[in-house]
Amino acid sequence: MLAPRIPSLRGAFRVWQRNVTIFRKFWISGLFPNFIEPLIYLAALGLGLGAFIQQGGISGQSYVQYIGPGLLASNAMFAASFESTFNTFVKLRFDKIYDAIITTPVNAEDVIAGEYLWAGTRAALYGTGFLAMLIALGTAFGEPLITSWWALLIPPMLLLIGIMFSVLGTLFTSLISHIDLFAYYFTLVITPLFLFSGIFFPVENFPAPVPQVAWFTPLYHAVNVCRELATGPSVGVIVDVLWIVVFTGALALIPVQIMRRRLIG
Amino acid sequence: MASGLKKSYGDFEALKGVDFEISGGECFGFLGPNGAGKTTTMKMIYGAVIPTGGELSVAGLDVYHHEREIKRRIGVVPQENNLDDELEVRENLLIYGRYYDLPKKLVLERTDELLDFVKLSEKVDNRVEQLSGGMKRRLLIARALINDPEIVVLDEPTTGLDPQARHLVWDRLRALAAEGKTLVLTTHYMEEAARLCDRLVIMEGGRIIAGGTPKDLVEEHVSPQVLEFRARHDAIEELLSRVESSAEAVERTGDEVLLVYTEDADALVAEVRASGVEVENTVHREAGLEDVFLRLTGRRLVE
Repeated sequence: MLAPRIPSLRGAFRVWQRNVTIFRKFWISGLFPNFIEPLIYLAALGLGLGAFIQQGGISGQSYVQYIGPGLLASNAMFAASFESTFNTFVKLRFDKIYDAIITTPVNAEDVIAGEYLWAGTRAALYGTGFLAMLIALGTAFGEPLITSWWALLIPPMLLLIGIMFSVLGTLFTSLISHIDLFAYYFTLVITPLFLFSGIFFPVENFPAPVPQVAWFTPLYHAVNVCRELATGPSVGVIVDVLWIVVFTGALALIPVQIMRRRLIG
Repeated sequence: MASGLKKSYGDFEALKGVDFEISGGECFGFLGPNGAGKTTTMKMIYGAVIPTGGELSVAGLDVYHHEREIKRRIGVVPQENNLDDELEVRENLLIYGRYYDLPKKLVLERTDELLDFVKLSEKVDNRVEQLSGGMKRRLLIARALINDPEIVVLDEPTTGLDPQARHLVWDRLRALAAEGKTLVLTTHYMEEAARLCDRLVIMEGGRIIAGGTPKDLVEEHVSPQVLEFRARHDAIEELLSRVESSAEAVERTGDEVLLVYTEDADALVAEVRASGVEVENTVHREAGLEDVFLRLTGRRLVE
């Protein structure tokens, strides 16, 4: 067995650059859904459902204030997940973009690392736009959704969250041979994470083992970090950040090796 | 530069020990039916397939240890189009140049030169998806030259192109050869091999079964004259038994065609006429690479 391949930063950067070039041409068409979706949740659940949760809200916040920062985290998850599943699969199987890249000094392992970085970047870009919108909406309706200067750390955090979900998505992509199988990933992984990671209600109130299980899932920590940074963090947030770093680091090289074997005979 | 090169996938041996040596500045061809191992060999040269055995060095560098350095010094034209279809012609070359860490200014200069070379200058601002198949193939060639490689590797450079497009590609490849680039190509078109290659090898079933210049191969493996007889199925059988003794070799392709190799075609034609076997059509021509190919790989190509 060969030693695991470590990506080169230079090669990864070139792949990231390619994606930036394409994104710069087509970003407007992708922007709208990425922005609108969290706003729809915010309106439907925050205002609609939130109307029934008037008394005290959750932990002293109104319902809209409670879910807003959590949606930042899920938005990053969705952006990075689409990028690392459908988009990566198309480049791998249909457009053969990776086959073209690996004939150059950029190696297969660099390609995957570049895709991680890119998915994180895209998550951070759209997430920052959404963050700006949350601030604007909060100000406009006199009910601030972002109340701490710590929120300035949210964009880099979204980059990290994006990379984490890119690693997870790429892992799934590296294992499947048919594009339809992504339905399983989104229905069985992404949607449950979205609903049970403390965005819409605190999972801590659930009976065991739900909170314990939630602790072992990635979005739960991403939501904690975003919410804490939006309102002023406690020391405990360090645990969430560490969790994300360790989880990402532990998994990152696995899809790299599997994808390398798919690209190189 | 290759010796004992092997590749197996599980129990299947795609390459069963292949040896060849390509000199700088020559055009070297791998000829063979589909599944012969041509593409596998090519992919080994540019690092997309790792050999399971044997030695292979490219530009003097061992493929097991100098993957990136080799890739920096070669250009690859793949069998399938893998351009960025939604981007413009120029953008494709710009992105590709970055993979080699070339300065943008240099890439822009080379883009103009290369598009001129492959006769695509007018299409520089078109999106790739608007190009014809022949134009895309020429753009792939231009892309493979962006790093000014010593060696250009081309996997079936004209498969799927119409005759005009094919001739234009051949013309450009000859121009490259004239510039002193080493060309390594695979093809299953004999005409292509005969026109372009200084030397070639014929592969079948993961092995090299013959090699040399096109001329040597013809001289070595077939007689100079070929007669193609077309006749009805039952007449073919009879014809076969008649000519077998006087011809040097006989090859059947399909049910109704007999290829007869001989030193003296006139005598053989006279003999067939005298025999009274009913022949529908007779073609007399010089032997070529295609005959070598059929001779060596038998009817399997046709199947």
